[in-house]
Amino acid sequence: MASLVRSTTRLLPSTRTLLRPPHLARTYATVEPLSNLGEAMSASQHPTPESKTSTIPEPSKDKESKIKTFHIYRWSPDTPSEKPKMQSYTLDINKTGPMVLDALIRIKNEVDPTLTFRRSCREGICGSCAMNIDGVNTLACLCRIPTDTKQETRIYPLPHTYVVKDLVPDLTQFYKQYKSIKPYLQRETKSEDGRENRQSPADRKRLDGLYECILCACCSTSCPSYWWNSEEYLGPAVLLQSYRWLADSRDEHKEERKSMLDNSMSLYRCHTIMNCSRTCPKGLNPGKAIQEIKKSMAFT
Amino acid sequence: MYAQVRTAFKIEAANLTSTSKYTTLTPHKGSITSRIVRIRAAASRKAIKAAAFQTSSKRDILPAGPQVIEGTANDPAPVPTPSPTHGSYHWTFERLMAISLVPLTIAPFAAGSLNPIVDAALAGAIVLHSHVGFQSVIIDYIPAKRLPRTRALFWWGLRAATLMVAIGFYEFETNDVGLTEAIKRVWTA
Amino acid sequence: MPTPAASQTVKELDAYHILEAQRRNRPVSPHLSVYKAQISWYLSGLNRITGSVLSGGFYVFGAAYLCAPLFGWHLESASMAAAFGSLPVTAKVLLKFGIAMPFTFHSYNGVRHLMWDTGRGLTNKEVVRTGWTVVGLSVVSSGILAMM
Repeated sequence: MASLVRSTTRLLPSTRTLLRPPHLARTYATVEPLSNLGEAMSASQHPTPESKTSTIPEPSKDKESKIKTFHIYRWSPDTPSEKPKMQSYTLDINKTGPMVLDALIRIKNEVDPTLTFRRSCREGICGSCAMNIDGVNTLACLCRIPTDTKQETRIYPLPHTYVVKDLVPDLTQFYKQYKSIKPYLQRETKSEDGRENRQSPADRKRLDGLYECILCACCSTSCPSYWWNSEEYLGPAVLLQSYRWLADSRDEHKEERKSMLDNSMSLYRCHTIMNCSRTCPKGLNPGKAIQEIKKSMAFT
Repeated sequence: MYAQVRTAFKIEAANLTSTSKYTTLTPHKGSITSRIVRIRAAASRKAIKAAAFQTSSKRDILPAGPQVIEGTANDPAPVPTPSPTHGSYHWTFERLMAISLVPLTIAPFAAGSLNPIVDAALAGAIVLHSHVGFQSVIIDYIPAKRLPRTRALFWWGLRAATLMVAIGFYEFETNDVGLTEAIKRVWTA
Repeated sequence: MPTPAASQTVKELDAYHILEAQRRNRPVSPHLSVYKAQISWYLSGLNRITGSVLSGGFYVFGAAYLCAPLFGWHLESASMAAAFGSLPVTAKVLLKFGIAMPFTFHSYNGVRHLMWDTGRGLTNKEVVRTGWTVVGLSVVSSGILAMM
């Protein structure tokens, strides 16, 4: 009997794959039946403030505790009829790592496993943990927790993005725009010796401050122009990448690249607001790069 | 006036979302997916319509609509056809206009007031500079794709206003004492 | 109350449509209301507001001057100067300051923008410094203009 049960349980999952080839099948969490979407559906609305939500306390308090409060934006696609809210967590920062990402990971591990955010490298090279911390877009892994415990930290997803869940924004449009500028070397002429496409040290130097961009989208989502017109305006990050190829001495499609930007929306929605350069966690200057593109296109 | 414009925005946004974009979304009739899609489309349409006629104060003038992405994540975003008149030429003209305004603005402070021709040039430059400025305000805040009719209304309204103002200042420059002299007289009155 | 996790197997095309349907339910994250007050975007916003206010006033006057004969308004410089001259002194100073402030700010900030257009002064430090310079200069010079 026991062996029968065992074989049945072993059989059950495999029947699924029998009926449908595995490459066509994937499981998705079902969504609650939609009865009352109304108010919560409205795309840009303000989250329920932390004063109206509960506070989840530090799990292991002791006498030496240095308690800091974090208010974190929460919204779940499983309950789309519920408004986004600011959930409060208190943490003992003596037991937490120095960076905001450490605090988020500790909350997820020890307090609330439903908290959702992207992270990978924890050293500012992957760009996954880009979010709005205390009003400024930055990478959570490069942002120190302010040690002043009276000051409460607020964490939101990147501004004016569609939220997938909690702190995870949908960057599909951003990546599609990146793809549209053809971010690769375009060149027909073969190099003289048929090997590498060489460039002088001076030409290589022009790419400094451009190639370091990790496409974390902090700058684009800090730009008010991009907030209002992200469908057509490319935004600082993608324009910096565009300039990275315009500035490359080896690229031979510069005129085509420029003409792709020569319309009222793609490039010229930039009004030199300079939030982009102010917020870049890698210390780059997208505003300056955009200005160089505009300059090179001014009298042609 | 403001409330009327706001309502016009919202009604047009509601009409647009309820017609074209949702019809592409019903793949297999009767399937679970299509049912979910249809229920959601209906719910969101209702939500937008409710928002359009609600009386309570809302802070957003033109809130972002539901997320719609054309094509899959692997398709590049469409590249618009080049149009230097709205791109680089426009930008260069705008800057030249602004540069010319610098000496024209300083001159009356240095010279007291201006001779009629320079004064008319200043008034003309301000009209053009204002027109270009209002144009970029309209482009920024009234998206052509989402609100084509409101956009056209404002675009042509601005042209009519600029023409009227230009004629008004032509009258002022030819019949009165001139812009800088008039400001000076009012300022020191 | 979170709903218990249940799952169902879905074809690839259906999955895409579920994704599309889910996208439509997503909220937009807060933006203007949460972004930190920084001189970069505050002055940019002010530049647009002051420009619109000045040009708006300019347009209203131009159009009104054109229509004045139709409605019997008196918008000639002489009658306007007389009307303005009859105001009490404090009202005059306040009005002049209210007009001079957006004018000087938009002018100085315009020069700052023209400098940026040549590619100069675009580092974070310079943007902050020139920003506060513009604010200081416009307050001082509109104060002087208001007293004239």
